[in-house]
Amino acid sequence: MTTPLIRGRGLGRIYGALTALADADFEVMPGEVRGLVGSNGAGKSTLVKILTGAVEPTSGTVEIMGEPVKLGDPSEMIRRGVACIYQHSNLAPAMSVMDNVFLGRQPVGRFGRIDKKKLEADTRALMAKHGMAIDPLATVGNLPTVKQKEVEILKALALEARVLLMDEPTGWLSAADVARLHQTIRTLRASGVAIVYISHMLDEIFSVCDTVTVMRDGRVIAECGIAEVRRARLVELMVGEKLARDSAAAASVARRPGGTGEIRLAVRDLSKKGVFRDISFDLHAGEILCLTGLIGSKRTELMRVIFGADRADGGSMTVAGQTVDFHSPGAAMAAGIGFVPEDRHRDGLMLGLSMTDNLIMSTIPQVCRSIFLDRSRVAATAKRLVADLAIQPPDVNKPARLFSGGNQQKILVGKWLNLGPKILILDEPTVGVDVGAKAEIYGILRAQRDAGAAILVVSSDLEEVTTVADRIAVMVSGRMVGIHDADAIDRSRLIEEIGGVA
Amino acid sequence: MIASVPALGRRLAPHALPLAMLVIIIAFAVSEPAFLKPDNLIGIVRQVAITGIMAVGMTFVIMTGGIDLSVGPVLALSGVIALFSLDAGVPLPLSIVAGLSVGLVVGLLNGFIVARLELPPIIVTLAMLSMVRGSALLIGGPDLHPIRGHEAYAAIGSGDFLGLPISVHLFAAVTVLMVLVQKLTPLGLLVAAIGENERAARLSGHRTRLTKMALYAICGVGAAIAGIVQSSQVHTASAVYGEFGTELDVIASVVLGGTSLMGGNGSIARTILGVMFLGIINNGMNILNVPIDIQLIAKGVIIAVSLALSEWRA
Ligand SMILES: Nc1ncnc2c1ncn2[C@@H]1O[C@H](COP(=O)(O)OP(=O)(O)OP(=O)(O)O)[C@@H](O)[C@H]1O
Ligand SMILES: [Mg+2]
Repeated sequence: MTTPLIRGRGLGRIYGALTALADADFEVMPGEVRGLVGSNGAGKSTLVKILTGAVEPTSGTVEIMGEPVKLGDPSEMIRRGVACIYQHSNLAPAMSVMDNVFLGRQPVGRFGRIDKKKLEADTRALMAKHGMAIDPLATVGNLPTVKQKEVEILKALALEARVLLMDEPTGWLSAADVARLHQTIRTLRASGVAIVYISHMLDEIFSVCDTVTVMRDGRVIAECGIAEVRRARLVELMVGEKLARDSAAAASVARRPGGTGEIRLAVRDLSKKGVFRDISFDLHAGEILCLTGLIGSKRTELMRVIFGADRADGGSMTVAGQTVDFHSPGAAMAAGIGFVPEDRHRDGLMLGLSMTDNLIMSTIPQVCRSIFLDRSRVAATAKRLVADLAIQPPDVNKPARLFSGGNQQKILVGKWLNLGPKILILDEPTVGVDVGAKAEIYGILRAQRDAGAAILVVSSDLEEVTTVADRIAVMVSGRMVGIHDADAIDRSRLIEEIGGVA
Repeated sequence: MIASVPALGRRLAPHALPLAMLVIIIAFAVSEPAFLKPDNLIGIVRQVAITGIMAVGMTFVIMTGGIDLSVGPVLALSGVIALFSLDAGVPLPLSIVAGLSVGLVVGLLNGFIVARLELPPIIVTLAMLSMVRGSALLIGGPDLHPIRGHEAYAAIGSGDFLGLPISVHLFAAVTVLMVLVQKLTPLGLLVAAIGENERAARLSGHRTRLTKMALYAICGVGAAIAGIVQSSQVHTASAVYGEFGTELDVIASVVLGGTSLMGGNGSIARTILGVMFLGIINNGMNILNVPIDIQLIAKGVIIAVSLALSEWRA
């Protein structure tokens, strides 16, 4: 039997009173794609960060090709061929694509200056090899999220990594992009790279992984070949039987297309030059309308305009019959609109502030008495939201940065629920959220709907769209191409429409 | 065992400043017992009041990732305007308001350009530094203008109340007010939110630009108050007061207090610690008769070392 490329034994990490990881054994063979699954806060990212050297374990050892390595030292791990694509971008946003890909290792020409020509050529060659197409000179910060992810993958590939760790790499990728990424993974696997693949999308795990490791509450609780386990069993292992049942039940709740019939938000011929055109639709009270489409079909841009974060060039909007023209998010909120943005780190959370501060951030007037913050109201609000959303750990004073990805997402949703919005817009609300918590978030959205809120969900995840939508709208390249009752359209028809095969 | 040294360091790092202060106070007290006399201690607070008031105003600006380099000339101009108003027969309260409005106007301008036009604060306020200094010289000329016959005005800087200098009362009042604003009002939370993530703050419905304008205005008014205290303390107003280095002391105090120049978390209360730290160093070295050139060098070294210590945390 060959030695594992990377092997961790007895790994543990303790943060104060919290055990993020306990006594974990973990190994990956050359040419193996190992899925790593578990609910939010199970310790997946912690394990991966130990393997990249970003986090020093409080116990345990790591061997690479049978040799023990020094832990807690990222440069040592990179030298030994361990690369990682994190949940969130680690790129330098102000630098160009090619500079990012070869950061710190740019080819040097005469006089010690960076050889831009060669750098560009190298980047292009690398992209050609892996079937990617990005302008090497583009500034990373200006690229859409999906392209940024590709740059990160490219960066890892440029390192000729032997161990590639992927922590939720497909967060914001469309189905086609995911398929392409999986193709890349298979190519890498064939060349003997060991890959760790973390995802909450079990479809992906089943499609690309050879083996799967299940984590729960900081422990590795199961390991097996992917062929030996069924989906339902995996969910049960991850979240326990009760939540597994709930999440299965979440898929089969009666739909309410058209809601109460009262039009809450009417959008007419909304246009923004070079972005989207002639968008018209109605959103009813008491319904969930899902807006789906490919990444880059300008759904986020449309939502930002509706929320007053950007201005439209033409068209009109009415909220509950009143014509509106929001010049700022504050104005939209005053009209009862809430907006959960897609990128929680860039647009959503104040990572350095406590969970409490984040939870009250959009509803500060509600927790004030005259001009002062009312501490008891603040604390009560935070406590209620933490309980409603089952945020783990329920430590309200902990900075948002220190929560696991899925729990950060719950904080972000919670912050808007507190507004009690009449119209709630959510942009990719369950990226990085585990199956159990997804069911919980869907439950919360349905409860809001049943209480009469109008809910607009932007989602690229067809599973999510078909689960939660009462009606489905499809956007292709800045045009709205169709709106359907969720029961009246089947999945293959939907996929065709999303792809623009009208 | 080896790991425990950095671990200890990491635990102590947040308290580096108070600890360093303690060490220095003990050192000064041992070499010159007069250092600990109440008179000297009150003297220290009186000496730092001017820098302190400015540092308190500057803290919020720095917390949002901004900076205000124009405080020195604002200090000068507000003193000149207040005095000229008095000399022109304007009643005392109105003259003070005139002086303060200098800070308000300059601050609002800074804030408008930074927040609305989105230009870098360091450039904007550097340009403003030059323009305000120029205006002060235009109005006041290069001369010192003695304050004569305005006892009530002079009392602001040199009078006593309840056994303490009025300037110390003012410093304390400004500090308490701003600590309360930071701890108890939404503005305090909003400042931290903008420093952490301005985009997210805006998407949470906050009027981030207006808030930033207000913060620069607060900073400007702080500098103007300092200008009135300063001119009344030395019984002269001059367009050349608040010379180069004033803003550095103010910024150093804020940063020593643990506020990052990159924005994000910060605290008015800790800024006061930074102010006192610089004040104690200055005073101790004066008492020990350290020559001024050596004082400047020593001060620079101490600032650099303390900052390095607090950065070490990461
Ligand atoms: N620096 C830290 N300080 C304190 N607690 C931490 C820190 N980093 C992680 N944690 C905690 O450790 C636990 C495990 O977090 P981890 O990020 O590994 O979860 P995860 O399995 O990746 O979850 P997700 O699916 O949500 O990304 C969480 O409860 C988290 O709050
Ligand atoms: Mg994670």
